[in-house]
Amino acid sequence: MEYVIEMLNITKIFPGVVANDRVTLQVKPQEIHALLGENGAGKSTLMSVLFGLYQPEEGTIKIRGKEVKISNPNDANTLGIGMVHQHFKLVHTFSVLQNIILGIEDTQYGVLQMKEARQRVIDLSNQYGLRIDPDAIVEDISVGMQQRVEILKMLYRNNDILIFDEPTAVLTPQEIEELMKIMKLLISEGKSIVFITHKLNEIKAVADRVSVLRQGKYIGTVEVSETSKEQMSEMMVGRPISLTLDKEEAKPTNPVLEVSGLTVAGHHQHKDSVIDVSFTVRAGEILCVAGIEGNGQSELVYAITGLVKQKGGTIKLNGKDISNATIRERNVAGLSHIPEDRHKHGLVLEFDLAENLALQTYFTKDLQDKGFIKFDARTKRANQLIDQYDIRAGRRAKTNARSMSGGNQQKAIVAREFERAPSLIVAVQPTRGLDVGAIEYIHNQLVKARDLGKAILLISLELNEVLEVSDRIIVMYEGEVVGELNPKQTTQQELGLYMSGSKKDKEVSHV
Amino acid sequence: MNIPFLVQQTMFFAIPLMVVALGGMYSEQSGVINIGLEGIMIFSTFMGILVLNMFIGVIPAQFLFILALLVSGISGMIFSSLHAYASVYQKANQVISGTALNMFAPAFFNFTMRNQTGSNQLYFFNQYRIPKVALLGDIPFVGPLFFTNTYISTYIGLVILAISVFVFYKTRFGLRLRACGEHPQAADAAGINVYRMRTYGVLISGLLAGMGGLILTIPTTTAFGGSVAGYGFLALAVLIFGQWKPKRIVFAAFFFGAMKTIAATYTSIPILLSLGIPGYLFKSIPYLTTILVLAFTSKKSVAPKALGEPFDKGKR
Amino acid sequence: MFKNVNQEALKTIFASLVSILIGLIMGLIILLVTDPNNAFLGFQRALLGGFNRMPRSFGEMLYQATPILLTGLSVGFAFKTGLFNIGASGQFIVGGFAAIFVGVRWTFLPTSIAWIVGLIVAMIAGALWAGISGWLKAYRNVNEVITSIMLNYVAVFLVNYLVVATVFNQTRNESLSPTNAFIPRGFFDSLFPRTGVHMGYVVAVVVAIIIWIILEKTTFGFELRAVGFNRHAARYAGVNEKRNIVLSMMIAGALAGLGGALLYLSATGVHIEVVDVIPLQGFNGIPVALLASSNPLGIIFSSLLLAHLNTGGFYMQTLFPTEIINIMVSVIIYFSAFAMITKSVLEKYLKRKGGKNA
Repeated sequence: MEYVIEMLNITKIFPGVVANDRVTLQVKPQEIHALLGENGAGKSTLMSVLFGLYQPEEGTIKIRGKEVKISNPNDANTLGIGMVHQHFKLVHTFSVLQNIILGIEDTQYGVLQMKEARQRVIDLSNQYGLRIDPDAIVEDISVGMQQRVEILKMLYRNNDILIFDEPTAVLTPQEIEELMKIMKLLISEGKSIVFITHKLNEIKAVADRVSVLRQGKYIGTVEVSETSKEQMSEMMVGRPISLTLDKEEAKPTNPVLEVSGLTVAGHHQHKDSVIDVSFTVRAGEILCVAGIEGNGQSELVYAITGLVKQKGGTIKLNGKDISNATIRERNVAGLSHIPEDRHKHGLVLEFDLAENLALQTYFTKDLQDKGFIKFDARTKRANQLIDQYDIRAGRRAKTNARSMSGGNQQKAIVAREFERAPSLIVAVQPTRGLDVGAIEYIHNQLVKARDLGKAILLISLELNEVLEVSDRIIVMYEGEVVGELNPKQTTQQELGLYMSGSKKDKEVSHV
Repeated sequence: MNIPFLVQQTMFFAIPLMVVALGGMYSEQSGVINIGLEGIMIFSTFMGILVLNMFIGVIPAQFLFILALLVSGISGMIFSSLHAYASVYQKANQVISGTALNMFAPAFFNFTMRNQTGSNQLYFFNQYRIPKVALLGDIPFVGPLFFTNTYISTYIGLVILAISVFVFYKTRFGLRLRACGEHPQAADAAGINVYRMRTYGVLISGLLAGMGGLILTIPTTTAFGGSVAGYGFLALAVLIFGQWKPKRIVFAAFFFGAMKTIAATYTSIPILLSLGIPGYLFKSIPYLTTILVLAFTSKKSVAPKALGEPFDKGKR
Repeated sequence: MFKNVNQEALKTIFASLVSILIGLIMGLIILLVTDPNNAFLGFQRALLGGFNRMPRSFGEMLYQATPILLTGLSVGFAFKTGLFNIGASGQFIVGGFAAIFVGVRWTFLPTSIAWIVGLIVAMIAGALWAGISGWLKAYRNVNEVITSIMLNYVAVFLVNYLVVATVFNQTRNESLSPTNAFIPRGFFDSLFPRTGVHMGYVVAVVVAIIIWIILEKTTFGFELRAVGFNRHAARYAGVNEKRNIVLSMMIAGALAGLGGALLYLSATGVHIEVVDVIPLQGFNGIPVALLASSNPLGIIFSSLLLAHLNTGGFYMQTLFPTEIINIMVSVIIYFSAFAMITKSVLEKYLKRKGGKNA
């Protein structure tokens, strides 16, 4: 039987790292084939090679039995290969229709002909049940609709080999179900799908076979129906891994963070991004704010940490009103922050590790004297943290931050923020983009901090993390708190209902 | 106060400003900052005037002017290709590369002029003024304003505007160019050659800036001294004030053109003269108003998202 | 660890040398095209003119280097903090005027301190002028390149007006001599007689060292560099990045203004001419800064190099117009924009040669 895709002994090297090491992938026609691996295992790289974004150093690719060379996305497209990327490749200021036709526009003497294209898009949208508005501007539409636009891009180009890169990262459980249905429909219409993920549930739900990559190497391919999640997980990580976090019951005491009636203005929309939100986080507990990305969680955190001035409401830390305090004042008062975007907010990549570790404390008496930096003290403190938190850095304190791995960069940020002995730790997506080992580590650190009496406000989009790590959950939808849940008693389905706004509790103030 | 005169002067200042700003728009909408518009204008004007002087009497006046405009435009393209190469293929710092162009052009002009002629004023014989356009110049009210004491370059400038707007919004090229400035990764994934599109963007800015330099110099001076008095930077301000869109750019260009006119002609406007403001302050008006306008409009400024970021295909 | 620091410096120097070399070669090519017979002689004079009448020419070079050392520091300091100070010329002339004013009008000051007052007033004037761009950038998000350039023109017009109004020498259309505030020549008088160099050069070098200390050794410098590299992370760390941007520009402006004072308070007969010309010293600060990768200590040397070239241009001018030097400098700037690339090419080369520690 002929495979529709064969990638044989693919090797792809970037400066300093072998992203794919003689990897083989074989996909049967009309199957949903999952590609499983941790962050950094090489899955996206392999698919980028298939899609023509990268050229492999070694290896061959066969499509429908014929050996081919894919030098750019146009070649891939001609072969019928399309890709929905993890970070959507959509031009935000263009309309849906413009995005779909970009690259294969109908023209006459160079002038755009939109009428037929529009009709075709509408026809495709109806055929596959992908609801979109051709004239909506992409920056205004929901993430779910944006993904449908990405899928339509592929269908418009008559692609029948479809690659999905971590498609469910941004969807609610209900939307994920819908996507699974769409995938099954696509298969029945003759398409073949490769589906990159690190989520075992989804593989179980929809994939026929799964190929596993680990640290750039190909581990093996198994039938999904014959393999347990634990087995898949062990293939992915290389050792038996507990899928649950070991933690004791929380013993919350005094309130540390009290947010009352907080309202934050929105960016370009007229609607506020945070609307009358109130909650309390106590010492010794982990409160998680769950929700789909873009429902106000980021703005909530910005207001609490001081990056943005709130429109209304108050914020109290250990009883003290910090609603109008500067960022520095809040930090000194005991607020620690592990930011969402470690490269944008967490680190100065051009600085070395010691400088980054001192980023929150450089002005304290320990590290400076009358404005002059105490270099020895700073280096000593940095080395202490490096040992304590097991941060891997080639040149220890002098390592350039940019050269460190994502996991170690995050460890450095965690080290810095925990070290200040704060009362409140605000952790936003702390394990995003990290491998299982690092994720485990950070979860343990959070629980440890909780047991030492810190209050932790966790913002997460990963449902597993939400259910595993938190002691209490509140869900945000369109800027409001719509529900409070007990992680031991709720399910992913129920969470999903709240997250998508389908369910809402009447009385959810001052949780 | 001679209103037709003031309107004509405004046209002489506004049209080149608009043309250069439109050029800047093409470059920046493709994602490349082009600070070097000033240098490009200077270099190209130099070339254009050389052509005028070379073929005077040989080719009829207006055709000669058009030829010179073409030469200026092409010189601008060639000169700007240096910036394109540095910015797109070498991923160099775009502001520094543009600054290098700005320093090179006047130095080149002065060097060549002083070497060949000993002076640094390049004179040209202005035979291009059109006292009155046949028929159109006789239309009451509109005629004296827009069709007398004018130059063909003005109308060419308006044609450039029309073509620019059309290409920008209605063609495949325009769509792809804008994609490269907003989200080059998306364009790349759609199979568009981002490097090539950005190069085109910069070359077009060179073409238009080159023509703009000549369009500015001919009606407003009798000799070219190797300077355009900051026009290239004013064009950048027009671009920013115009939020990188043609319609607003036109408005901004005419606003600043009017400011320039006031600075140049205040002695003939009794009201302004009577205010007793020293001459130096008047000369500063275009520059000061630029700062003021930008101060009030930059807060919500939305530049093309990928502007100034070199595109690297291999970046993970 | 120490080796690491040296490696970075070496890479930068190498990249700069490449840019300079290319610039010089381009200059030679243009000379050859213009006048093949005299090209090599002219080139030689340009390169070696600075050594023409040692030690006198060395003294002249120091004199030439003084103002651009400061404008180089101005541009470089701004670069380090993430800003492009292309307005150094405007700040330069504003500072220069302030110094001349002190020298001409504040004759109640004893000569021994008048020049010091002049320097201080010039720094304040430059700082305020640059602060306008800084404030607009920090609080109104206005591109500092454009405001600085606009302010360059306004500065020229304003200073011309003020010169005419307060310190005018009508017969020569320039400013009067600020004799009361001439900078003393100090030991340079015996070292390099009959040249223009004065204690201002010492001031300039000392300032360069101070700036280096501020950037590398103080928490203030740490904050400024953090803001320059990553505004957002700096903000997160509690740094008031808006205030720092304004302060950075003001410091840069003070440096450029000081440069103007050091030039116009020289007892060499240099005056502000009342013409609509933007002083070149400000723009020459850009290559000075770029060649030294904005390192204040390196700027001490790159300013000497540029002064040397300018002096060479002066000695060559019987054969070729001096603008050839500006042409060479613009080519140097163009290629130093690639410096990042040259550096990374060098890194890859070193890595391949077996440097595991790259």
